[in-house]
Amino acid sequence: MHPDAPRSPDPESERWLGALTCEGPAREGAARRLHDLLLRVAYAEAHRRRHRLPESLLEELDDLCTQAASDALMAVRRKLGEYSGAARFTTWACKFVILEISSRLRVRAWKGRPVASLDGDERVKERLADSAPSALQAIEHRELLAALARAVREELTERQRVVFRAAVLEEVPIDVLAERLRSSRGAVYKVLHDARRKLREALSRAGYAENVA
Amino acid sequence: MKRDRILRALLGDAAHDPGCEETFAALGAYVDAALRGENVAERYARVVTHLENCPGCREDTEGLLAALRAIGPIAPPEPPNPTG
Repeated sequence: MHPDAPRSPDPESERWLGALTCEGPAREGAARRLHDLLLRVAYAEAHRRRHRLPESLLEELDDLCTQAASDALMAVRRKLGEYSGAARFTTWACKFVILEISSRLRVRAWKGRPVASLDGDERVKERLADSAPSALQAIEHRELLAALARAVREELTERQRVVFRAAVLEEVPIDVLAERLRSSRGAVYKVLHDARRKLREALSRAGYAENVA
Repeated sequence: MKRDRILRALLGDAAHDPGCEETFAALGAYVDAALRGENVAERYARVVTHLENCPGCREDTEGLLAALRAIGPIAPPEPPNPTG
């Protein structure tokens, strides 16, 4: 069986499903319990990331966690029919609140910060050759980096170029790019994925196959 | 080799990366398996590939694991009363 293939839920997950889909006060009681759990997870995650957040954001954490838990509860209730039983119900539900709180924290942390690639800033285009980001510290590989920079210019669509430069050279989080481009995390990642695939193929053709296979 | 590391950092493992949405769909089962101490690298190779390539999903997964470990066992609600 595929590891995440649908299966019968475990007894505790059945209890959650039964309570959240029954008629009467038990349903709202279960929803309140689930909301409490989602809120605890949101706070735990916000606390875990606290040292990486700007000072100005810390006083907003309560509101952000509350919003994340409420939106996650709505998502869980809306998607109950998609629950396959492959995971415990609580684990399945909690992934929604992690997504909600992490997206909020990233977008808020980047609020007001310019993304040069999205603004057409020419300086970003030189970063591959200049090796400013940490991943490019090895200057002895200039030849390879020059080939990669050429492939970025010649092989990618404009949108792929923008997303690749922003995500890889500027290290802008995908959630932030999705928000700025009015798209979704999955859709932006797909653009990045396709860009990387094209670049690997171009480098392979240029004779770097053993390094990019 | 340093060159390989540079290329991997820039280009990831594009060939086997299932993307954010497929990974999110499998995330609950992956996290449960990790919490049970199972060998997720083998059973969830595609998820692991994506988590290596996508810093956002990797950070979220670490957060979900950390939160569930911290919270511990979660009691289910009482069964609904059949008489209402």
